[in-house]
Amino acid sequence: MSEHPPSMNSRERVLAALNRQPVDRTPLCNPTSVATVELMDLVDAPFPDANRKPELMARLAATGYTELGFDTIMPVFSIIQESAALGCKIQWEQKDNWPTVRMNEPIWTSPDDINVPADLCTHPDTRCVTDAIKILRKEYGDEVAVIGKTMGPWSLGYHCFGVEPFLLMSLDDPGKTKLCLDRMKEITVEYGLAQIEAGADALTLPDHATGDLVSGEYYERYLRDLHIEMAERLPVPIILHICGRTVDRMEYIAQTGMAAFHFDSKNTPMESMEIVKERIALVGNINNPETLFSKGPEVVREEVYRNLDAGVQLVGPECAIPLQTSIENLKEIPRAVRDWHAGYDR
Amino acid sequence: MAEIGDIANEFIRDEIDEFLEKENERNHIVELFAQTRPLLQDIAAALIDGAHEEVDQLTQQALSEGIEALEIMDDGLIAGMGIVGIKFRDNFIFVPEVLACARAMKAGMAHIEPILSDSGVEPIGTVVMGTVKGDLHDIGKNLCIMMLRGAGFVVHDLGVDTSEDEFIEAIEEHGAKLLGMSALLTTTMPNMGKTIEAFIDEDLRDDIKIMVGGAPVTPEFAEDMGADGYGKDALSCVELAKELLSE
Repeated sequence: MSEHPPSMNSRERVLAALNRQPVDRTPLCNPTSVATVELMDLVDAPFPDANRKPELMARLAATGYTELGFDTIMPVFSIIQESAALGCKIQWEQKDNWPTVRMNEPIWTSPDDINVPADLCTHPDTRCVTDAIKILRKEYGDEVAVIGKTMGPWSLGYHCFGVEPFLLMSLDDPGKTKLCLDRMKEITVEYGLAQIEAGADALTLPDHATGDLVSGEYYERYLRDLHIEMAERLPVPIILHICGRTVDRMEYIAQTGMAAFHFDSKNTPMESMEIVKERIALVGNINNPETLFSKGPEVVREEVYRNLDAGVQLVGPECAIPLQTSIENLKEIPRAVRDWHAGYDR
Repeated sequence: MAEIGDIANEFIRDEIDEFLEKENERNHIVELFAQTRPLLQDIAAALIDGAHEEVDQLTQQALSEGIEALEIMDDGLIAGMGIVGIKFRDNFIFVPEVLACARAMKAGMAHIEPILSDSGVEPIGTVVMGTVKGDLHDIGKNLCIMMLRGAGFVVHDLGVDTSEDEFIEAIEEHGAKLLGMSALLTTTMPNMGKTIEAFIDEDLRDDIKIMVGGAPVTPEFAEDMGADGYGKDALSCVELAKELLSE
């Protein structure tokens, strides 16, 4: 970052960082959700309605920019919008809980069950997102980066086949699993394209082949090539999101051609940067449960500095934050980034 | 002291050589299998290999040869699962492989459980287990339950998305002294703390021990939430349960 452009707005800053170009300061990025109960109250946009009504979704999402000071707006708080359109049973929950897919009631058991419904992108729960993106684009123009989210085929596999049956299938019948992934990939691409058309500047692509569940070799075997293909077919920067320990697959992730990888605090910024080098930008990795939820601003600041010292290109929470996280801790992230750049308290 | 050559089953010998890196664990497992009947070694080997149909058939064979159900469970199924647990803990295998082993264990236990429950063996403790409110993930919890039951605990499984009230009701209904909570999401982990607070509010906290686990949960978080113990995986869950109930 020796050649600082004089001044950038949030959108320019984020897109430059995702394209690994010089930035005036490290962008603050939330590829997953920073919605909290406090923010819901502040703008009168509570869950579950904020997951189902575009106006409320846009209003709550905008607080990430207007109240917290991030350079991005992410309107997709959950990971269930397209699964709802596919026919999965959804538990929409209340204000203080996330909507979830009832994965113990799977809708598919074989590749032949997989079909992309005609209303995938016009179903109320998927259209809610594209409508919210349109609202945000209209309201904020080009000043802030609006990020969409389309679920990857591995995550869709959990939702539609059930986690346990899907993982067992991956062991018992790799060919069948690959066929399923190849078919589900079309859902990822179609919904991603719809969000781009609605005005998304970039897309988060969560695909939970996490180290807590499967090996790095699994990622290489089942997903690397699919991710390469998706990066080619979706014409905006893609931020891959995988939770948990992932250093054993970061080499493969760096080969995908995706713009960025949103990484978990189970991986240190330094070791992660050393693996991916300049091939993919990193976004992260402030710890959620222990730091943002349980600790105070000084610990948040330490973690932000650790990321910046390691050269992480975009800073933000490691994953969707607990809904009871305090605004004060979240606001410390942009404060710390600005102070680090100003050389304050170093 | 037993030598690895004293173990009849070649697959088990190879597993020990390849995956058991800690000397004390290796010695313990070698000692155990060296004294185990060859047929029960075969059951353990099939379980480690995730071969559920083979475990099913070998368990029936062992029973028909007059081997006690408890011995088949301890020296065949649980002994095999012990090696699986170590391989999982040390990242040699991951959840799909463990699920296949669990399926194999279930195939064997289907023949063992009815015999044991008829025999009136005294359980070593009663545990209530559930995934917390808002969280629908249950693989880790189910593996813990399987291991706990295998180790002689009576486990009441509340399933997923369990509210504070449901945990409290189950503890009271079953007179359990141990509660196990699981969460897979960082967004639902705080519900562990809420549940513990609910037990405090009901003046029941001192009557029970609480253990927690799940991929994103750490010992520090468990302590912050006020839990009595943290289990990293299904294997450590059994040890933790025994430890907490003996306090």
